[in-house]
Amino acid sequence: MPASTPSEPTAAPSGTESTSPVVPKEPLSPKPDELDAAERAEYLAEVMAEIDAEVRHRRASGDLPAGLERELDELFLEFSPVGLQGKARLRENLALVDGAAYVDIAVPVESEKKIGVYIKRLIRKSLNWYLGFIVHQVVKFAWAVSRMFHLVVDHIEDIETTVESLRIPELPATAVPVTDPGASWWADQALAAVSGTRGRVLHAECGNGSLVARFIADGVDAYGVDPVETTIEPAIERGLDVRAEAALDHLEVVAEEALAGIVLSGSVQWLHPNERDRLIALASSRLAVDGVLVLHSATPEAWRRSTSPLVADLAPGHPLHADTWTHVLAAFGLSRTALHTGGEDRRLDRLATSSTDATTINAAIDTVNDLLLGPGEYLLVAVRAR
Amino acid sequence: MKLAFVTPRYGSEVIGGAETAARMLAERMSLRPDWDVEILTSCALDHLTWENTEPAGTSSVNGVTVRRFPTASRRLLEYFELDGRLRVSPTTASLAESRRWVALNGPMCPELVDAVATSDADVIACYPYLFATTVDAIAAARVPTVLHPAAHDEPALYLKAFQQSFRDIDGLVYHTRAERDLMEHVFGIGAKPQIVLGLGVNEPAGDGRRGGEILGIGDRPYLCYLGRVDEHKGCGMLAEYFAHYKDRHPGDLVLAFVGPVSDKAPEHPDMVVTGTVSEAEKWDILADAQVMVSPSAYESFSLVLLEAWTLDVPVLVNAGCAATMEHCRRSGGGLYFESYRTFEATVDRLVGDAETRARLGCAGRDYTERYYRWPSIIDRYAEFLQAVVSRGPRTSIRTGRLPLVTGGPAYERGG
Repeated sequence: MPASTPSEPTAAPSGTESTSPVVPKEPLSPKPDELDAAERAEYLAEVMAEIDAEVRHRRASGDLPAGLERELDELFLEFSPVGLQGKARLRENLALVDGAAYVDIAVPVESEKKIGVYIKRLIRKSLNWYLGFIVHQVVKFAWAVSRMFHLVVDHIEDIETTVESLRIPELPATAVPVTDPGASWWADQALAAVSGTRGRVLHAECGNGSLVARFIADGVDAYGVDPVETTIEPAIERGLDVRAEAALDHLEVVAEEALAGIVLSGSVQWLHPNERDRLIALASSRLAVDGVLVLHSATPEAWRRSTSPLVADLAPGHPLHADTWTHVLAAFGLSRTALHTGGEDRRLDRLATSSTDATTINAAIDTVNDLLLGPGEYLLVAVRAR
Repeated sequence: MKLAFVTPRYGSEVIGGAETAARMLAERMSLRPDWDVEILTSCALDHLTWENTEPAGTSSVNGVTVRRFPTASRRLLEYFELDGRLRVSPTTASLAESRRWVALNGPMCPELVDAVATSDADVIACYPYLFATTVDAIAAARVPTVLHPAAHDEPALYLKAFQQSFRDIDGLVYHTRAERDLMEHVFGIGAKPQIVLGLGVNEPAGDGRRGGEILGIGDRPYLCYLGRVDEHKGCGMLAEYFAHYKDRHPGDLVLAFVGPVSDKAPEHPDMVVTGTVSEAEKWDILADAQVMVSPSAYESFSLVLLEAWTLDVPVLVNAGCAATMEHCRRSGGGLYFESYRTFEATVDRLVGDAETRARLGCAGRDYTERYYRWPSIIDRYAEFLQAVVSRGPRTSIRTGRLPLVTGGPAYERGG
């Protein structure tokens, strides 16, 4: 029967002991063709969760001798890269160190010939006093090392627990609205700022990649990153160099002075203060001398009145005023060279000067406009100083 | 546009992930009317000895022009001594030591490097990162050069000699995002032009025979391993896990190892080892498998997963392998194991539940159709190469050639 035809279980293993087959708890209704990527991921997670539960159940039943299970797990570790699996892998490797810390001097004496057994036993016996002395010291050292590793791992786990309790809850990337930066009011100014640069220009977070495309069309060697994979897929399909990465993660893997320009937009404006500092420090070090940093942000006032409740409530930080950014950037060697304003503009019209009390009222309108209703966004351009 | 591939060895008889991938790309690129493709490679086919077994000069392999150059030295025994020493702590090896390791790893082909230096190609593609031909070609090239690292997390990756190669490259072509993440973290090359391309999968080409008939197991259900039967591919672990599984679950289920045997073939009444099979037999065996198992933790792409998915066959992979895990997570087309316990439970689930198999297999097929069909892959690759060419070669000072090591006893197979 071809495997492509969903078939009845043809080979349900005739299980023994307490190992009942892992089957779904209830039939899953949608047909496979109707599943989208999120549903598939959910289904996979669901199946693996059921399998994990079954593994825990079987382990608790003690149906597999502990020594054999450990031996089989060590076999897995032997053929797996070390250090890629996080905390669990740390403990597993520690168990391997513990297991290897004992050195057995009882050398096997089996032999195909009977005389061989006698000879081997004689050699073993006569060397025991010598090997025993050496091995004792080796084992002592190995146990000291093992003990040290245990202390280190305990310490690391304590630190991880502390760090975890301080962790800032993550704003779901999907909560951030999809942007079309190429069509925004600030696209032309951003393009003007990076035009003529010699080297690669990064746009983080690039949304659908439309600004990257405009840069490239204008001769700028641009690429982009954005944390939301579904947002960038059209850009990838258009052949743009756009990657599903967060700005911070990406800048970590860029060499120093490798970029001629960096455009920051999207959620970078409301990063946690610590992360904001780290981002600017990274951006500054990744920019070549005279490299250009372009930053798009909402004003704090506009952000408060117009951002989505989800972002407003869960964002780890909030946008800064342009002057504050100027100050922050200067601390990392980036000098502001231009500031453009735009975006949402709900300014009230001034009264005609012929009106009664026009001067007083217009002064009040100006104040309200400046403080509350002026341009909701700005674009700041800075240059990395020599 | 002319494209020259540089590979340590080349030919349809060469079995190796990176070499096969290079050949597949070259053959398909050569079919495009706007591209002229040639291969610059050694006269060796055996990567353990680098013995010159093919005639030097120009020939044609499946319609692709192949220029072969002799290796200057067979692999020396000194390689194994140095490799043993450096792999313990590769990051602390000096630049000179690591360059000597690359030279000893070979193949050293001075004439090939000369050909690269004077190549009239518009762009050169080196494949994979690990060999002397790649390191020297990147150093010698005068035209834009892209690298297909085909890398996974292994000690050699951390040798300083490769830092220079990655610094000097003009573009990178990755098999998977996992590979890209690893390269970017090791080499800090996030700003380099790059593309995650992968490989295309062919249409199934079976003869319609029953897999059980080819395997000689009649109607018994079976799991299938496809590829080189090798301890390093996790085959020993898989055989042992399956033997324990059968001890605890006696029944009809069979495990079939399908592919050439490198070391020792597993022996068990419920395991079948086919050795090398024809392409049609491979597809027929795969089509009737309940599950395709990939026990290897060291894969940089794993085409066999995609082949299984084109037939709606779900897969079971090693959770320690970044590349196969990425395929499973992105597609939702397979499960994974990280211990004997999870192996047992996942096999139980997959073999015992047809709906799970169908859903996973279908998800895998959709993923393959969307991302891994040749026409779109070749289009994207050509577009990427054109962009690299348009940027021109980097102007940085390139590294000198590797030292040629010729003295000392040579490695002999079986010696």
